[in-house]
This record gives sequence, structure tokens and C-alpha cells, in this order.
Amino acid sequence: MVDAVAGGTKHRRKPLLAVVADRTWRFFCSVRAALYEIIFLAVLILVGTLRGSVLPAQMPRFVPALEPLVARWYAFDVFHSLIFSMTLALLTVAITVCTINRVPGIWQALVHPTVATTRQFFRSAEPAIVERSPDAPEAVARELVAILRSRRYRVLTEQRGGDIHVYADKNRWGKLGTFPFHLALILLLVGGIVGAQFGFREPVFTVAEGATRDVGEGTHLRLKLERFVDSYNQIGSPTEYRSDVILYEGDQEVRRGSLTVNNPLTYKGVTFYQASYGQAAQIEVQDAAGNVAFAAAVPFEYVSRSNGDAPAAIVDLPAQGVRLELFFPNLKLDAKPEIGTIKLQSGELYAQAREAGTNTKLGEGVVIAQGDVARVGGLDVQFVRERRFTLLQVAYNPGIPILFSAAILLVIGLAITFYFPHRRIRALVSAGGGETEVMLAPLAKRDWGAKRDFVRTLSAIEARFGPATLLGRSSHAGD
Amino acid sequence: MPATDLLRLSYYGFTAASVAVLAAVVFYVMDALWLARTSRLVTAGDALASWRAYATPPTPSGRLASTTVALATLFAGLAVALRALATGRGPYSDMYEFSVAFVFVALLGYFLLERNYGIRPIGVIALPVILGMVAYVWSLPPSVREDRGLIPALSNNVIMTAHVSSAVIAYAAFALSFAAAVLYLVVARWPRAWLPSAELLDEVAFRAVTIGFPAQLLLLILGSVWAHMAWGGYWSWDPKETAALFTWMVYGGYLHARTLRGWRGTRSAAYLVVAFLAVVFTYFGNYWFGGLHAYSGV
Repeated sequence: MVDAVAGGTKHRRKPLLAVVADRTWRFFCSVRAALYEIIFLAVLILVGTLRGSVLPAQMPRFVPALEPLVARWYAFDVFHSLIFSMTLALLTVAITVCTINRVPGIWQALVHPTVATTRQFFRSAEPAIVERSPDAPEAVARELVAILRSRRYRVLTEQRGGDIHVYADKNRWGKLGTFPFHLALILLLVGGIVGAQFGFREPVFTVAEGATRDVGEGTHLRLKLERFVDSYNQIGSPTEYRSDVILYEGDQEVRRGSLTVNNPLTYKGVTFYQASYGQAAQIEVQDAAGNVAFAAAVPFEYVSRSNGDAPAAIVDLPAQGVRLELFFPNLKLDAKPEIGTIKLQSGELYAQAREAGTNTKLGEGVVIAQGDVARVGGLDVQFVRERRFTLLQVAYNPGIPILFSAAILLVIGLAITFYFPHRRIRALVSAGGGETEVMLAPLAKRDWGAKRDFVRTLSAIEARFGPATLLGRSSHAGD
Repeated sequence: MPATDLLRLSYYGFTAASVAVLAAVVFYVMDALWLARTSRLVTAGDALASWRAYATPPTPSGRLASTTVALATLFAGLAVALRALATGRGPYSDMYEFSVAFVFVALLGYFLLERNYGIRPIGVIALPVILGMVAYVWSLPPSVREDRGLIPALSNNVIMTAHVSSAVIAYAAFALSFAAAVLYLVVARWPRAWLPSAELLDEVAFRAVTIGFPAQLLLLILGSVWAHMAWGGYWSWDPKETAALFTWMVYGGYLHARTLRGWRGTRSAAYLVVAFLAVVFTYFGNYWFGGLHAYSGV
């Protein structure tokens, strides 16, 4: 940018850095740019939303050439993409800069508004009115101020020559509502980053009945599932899943209680949520010498490769160099025949052993009924009893207080902005032709609500000064 | 009274509301025709007088239309209340309950709008939108009228009720802003003395958004709180979640364009008409989205 110069004087250029900083600042201040950023982010969100629907898949039916594009669409994880993060970051910077940039103007308008006005303002404002009074201008102005104040307006006056300028406004602090709202938008992002950086979330945390599992993540917490209960209504829909658990910190029991969906268990910010459940089996394994190699409940958290509805479990026994694979029958009503030719029945499980590391089968698999022992891969495997496992989600999110504070600020900011609109009225009281003339008009360009408020306030003014006369052009229908 | 009787009464209430909505559509059209024929008798007076008397002049057909809307609101309210009494929870177990609640809140919103601004011709647009929703409810299989209970994930009564109530309020407010915006576009092209002023319609559309936008925000916040309590994650990028966020941003764009860029008139009205597509997209999203809201489909 070149400073304005008179002929012959030296050109003085701003340093490049200042120019860049100035332009960058102006870019981020621009409402137009902010609007484009909002629209671009909204489009990205729409693309991501549609990806979660069946709609894009329908497109190639009408335009087959779109097939590759639709395939790429489904492959594009919008919400975890760089462009999405960058747009969010850009918008956050824009919100920050834009908001900071608006502070001086808004503050000035609130604290030190311009009181003096011109006759031209009343000629172009609508609806602008005139009142006349035989009283002196000072007395009329005093009464006008009193009427406006009685209607909760703040009133400022300024005398210029023989004229008295009046500026009245109410709900001026409502203009500040934009700040908590936009601050909250930034806090939402901060809360999200804090949660992602310093928190953790384990979406699949399975524990079988009777078993205890470490939470990890440096928490020193262990969770024991005592019992899992599921109940159903008459038509077979599930009504409750409940896990009775004990939480230990080190060896110390710190919590004991029941977990249901919507009623999680929280300890020191770590929360356990009920998510799902499944079958488990109490297993005891002895080696050839009769030593117990394994005795615990095993969650059947996998499914069989040959039958996707048959629950499966894996027990690794590194000391014996064996991996045990266990299967339950598929008990669904529409079940296919059981795994291969085994004909596994309810109350039985199928066990087979593989060599750890190589995955080579160690002999044939066997069917074991509940309570029985069978030899599998050189080990005695006892199916003690059927049990359940619970599937929990474990989460620790230190960003939550920030997010919820942001949510409250968002609501407060919007409520202030929308439900306490800033209303402004200007008046000019002047002497002329042996009487005092008062011109009044709202600052309400194309704002019907503000005009209606003005007309309502006018009723009180007319009650004192008589019917008002309209100045300027008509303000009705279709203008 | 047994729950099944309450459910049946609720169903009768909705049936009565449906008939009343259908009748109201007819009456509002009749009223518009009446106003159009007699508008030359309506004198606007000077402009200041028109500021004081912006309400649509009273007509017999108008009174009939307004009374019918009041009745429809009452019946729909009864349908929602009786069902809540029978099931012991808010209207959120499926699209039937949700849509009946939408019909009630949209009617109530329209009723309040008409009382506050005293303008009736918006009814010609708003009531058919509500009738469309009534028709959708009737297109659902009759089995939805029974209480089918709740899956465990939906069993948090207070937050779920508030979450879904916010949704209903937001969508109803956006529907009214859509109706005002459509009428704006009509008035901008075809101004008539019996129609509300374009400026007033711009205001009504804006005011409806100032109800819908915070309600949509509450919907998102309460959904997050609930997801945090039920699933351990306050935000899952679930399609219905992101669709609601998208809708919120679309209306956020409108508010910025209007308040900071001075968008008024045809441009902002056209924007609101298009924006309403986002609401429809989100509302019926259960039909084409998978994810965490899939179970709340029909």
C-alpha cells in the first residue's frame, strides 16, 4: 500500500511485513470471507453426512459414469481429513480476529454513541414523525426525556445552537451477546483438542463374569465383573442391560455398583459405559503334568470365520506354546447349520488348538459339554460353565468441563442477542414559528420489529403532545 | 384409565386434529379469496395508521380459519399429552410420536404467530406444510400407534424429552420461517393491499429463525450430553448428528448474512426457502442414514 503523497515528496512504502499483516488481518475481519468459510465448512459437513447414507450409492443408477466418484466419496473420511481440520482452524482464527475487530466499534456505540443528528436523517428515516408544542424547547425536551426513560430507554441529550439533540436506546448490552457466543465456539474447539490430546477412549472393553481386567492408560484401575443381567419385555425387546461391577485402584476397592445404559460409573474422571454384552465360558486348562495353566472366564468377543453368527474366543497359553480357539453354537432362530459338520448344540463348545506363532493345527478339535473335560492339543480343557461377558466403553475426557461451559455460553449468548434487541431512537427538538418542533425517528433501517417498537413508544409521546404527523415517504406495503 | 385406552384416546385426538388441519387449509384458502375480492374496501389510511393497523382485517372466513387452527392445536396437544400419559415419557420412541409432536408444536407456533402479528395469509402456506406432515403420519403403518416400548439406549427420560422437544420446536420454527419466506417471495412480486407487507414477512421469518436457531443449538447440546452419558462420546460424527449440525450452520449463515451483511428481502427469503430443504433432509434422515439414530426410525 502506498501512502498518499504530494507531488515531488518521497514515496514511503510500508514494510512488506506490515502490508502482509494488514491484508491478513483484513481477510480474517471480512464478514464476506467468514460467510464463505461457513458455507465451505457446511458443504464439507454435508459431504460427510451423505457419506453415512445410502444416497450417494443411488447416483450411479442414474448416471453410471459417477460410479468411481461415488466409490471415492465413500472412501473419503471427511471429518478426519486434513481439509476439514484446516477449515475448522481457519474459521476459528477468523472468529477470533473478527470478534476482536468488532470490540472497539461496539464498545464505542454502547458507551459513547453519537448523540447529535441532522435533519437529513429524519427525511430519510421511516417512520419519522413530527410533534409540535407551544412550550419552550427545554421544557419539551425534558418531558420527552422523561417519557422515554419511563419506557426503559437510556437517554442522552446534547445542545447545539438552539437545537436539542436526543439519543435514546435500550437493551444496549444485548449487542455484547455476540462475544460469549463466539468465544464459546472457540472453546468448543479447545475442548475437543484437550479431550483428544489428554484423554482416552477404549470403545471395546470386554470383561467376562468373574474376571478382572486392567484399564491401563496409566490409571492403575482394574474392573471386575461380578454379574451381567439382561431383561426383556413380553415381545422380546430388551429393556435393560446391567453389569454389577467392582472397581479397584491398585489393590484397593474404590467403587462397587451397577452399570446400565445411561447410568455410567465414574471414578476420578474415568467413566465406564454399558455398551453391549455377549456369551462367555468359564474354562480351566491343565497341562500334562496336571498343573493349572489357565482358569478364568473367557469372553466370546469374536465370531467364527465359517459362521458369522457363531461366537468365538481365543485363549493364548504362551508357556505351553498353544493357542486355544473356542466356539459356541450359533443360536439364532434363523441359524445356518452349525459350524461345518460338527452339529454343535446349546450347552456345548468346540475347542481346537493351534501352535503358538505358526498357527499349525495341533490335532483335531473336540466338542466339550458343560462340566466335561477333553484333551485338546495335549492339554486337558474343562468347560466349567457358561457365563456372560459385558462390553463396556471406557473414557476419560478432561475437555468435557470446557465443552459444557462452552455450551452454556452459546445458549446465553444467543438468548441475549435475539431476545434483547438493541433499540434506538433519535429526536431533534428545535424552536421555530413561535412553537417547538420535535422530530422523532427510530434507527431501524429495514427492521420491522424496531419500527413496531417505535410506534408503540410513540403512543406514550402522543398522549402528551397530541397526534403525530408523519414525515417523509410512506412506510407500508412492499417498500 | 388403562394405558391402551389412553393410547386410543390419543389416536382419536390426532384424528380430530387431522380433520381440523384439513378444514383449516380449506378455510385459509377461502379467506385469501375473500380478502382478495374485498380488498378494495380495505383502506390503508396514512402510513402511520398502517403501522398501527398492520393486522389482516377481520372476515367471517378468517374467524372460521383461526378458530379451526385453535381447535386443531387443542386436539393435537391432547394427542401428545394423552400418549405421554400412557407411555410415561416424552414423544421420542419413533417417527410416529415425533411427528405427532411436530404437528402439535407447528400448529401452536402458527397459532401464536397469528395472534402476535395478527396476519392470516401466512396460513395459506403454513397449514399445507403442516397438512403434509399429517399425511406423512397417516402413511405410517398402523402398528406404530401402539406403545412399542423403548430400547435401553433411549431410556433417559428427562434429557431425551428435552432433546426431542428442542428438535420439534426448531423444526416447527423453521417451517414457519419457510412459510413466511414463501409468502414474502409472492408479495415481492405481487403486492396486494390485503397481503402483509414484505417488511413484516421478513421480520416474521427472521423471528421464527431466532426461535429455531437456539432450539437447534439446544438439540445439539442435549444430544451431546445424552451421548456423553449413554455412549461415552459426546460427538460421534453420526450422520443424523452432522445433518443437524449442517442445518444449524445453514441458518447460522442466514443470521450472519442478515445482521452483518444486511441481507434483506428477496435474497434472504430465497435463502430461507432453500434452507428448509436442510430441515426436511435432517427430519427424514432416519430413512437413509445408518448410525446411532437408525433405531429411532419407523
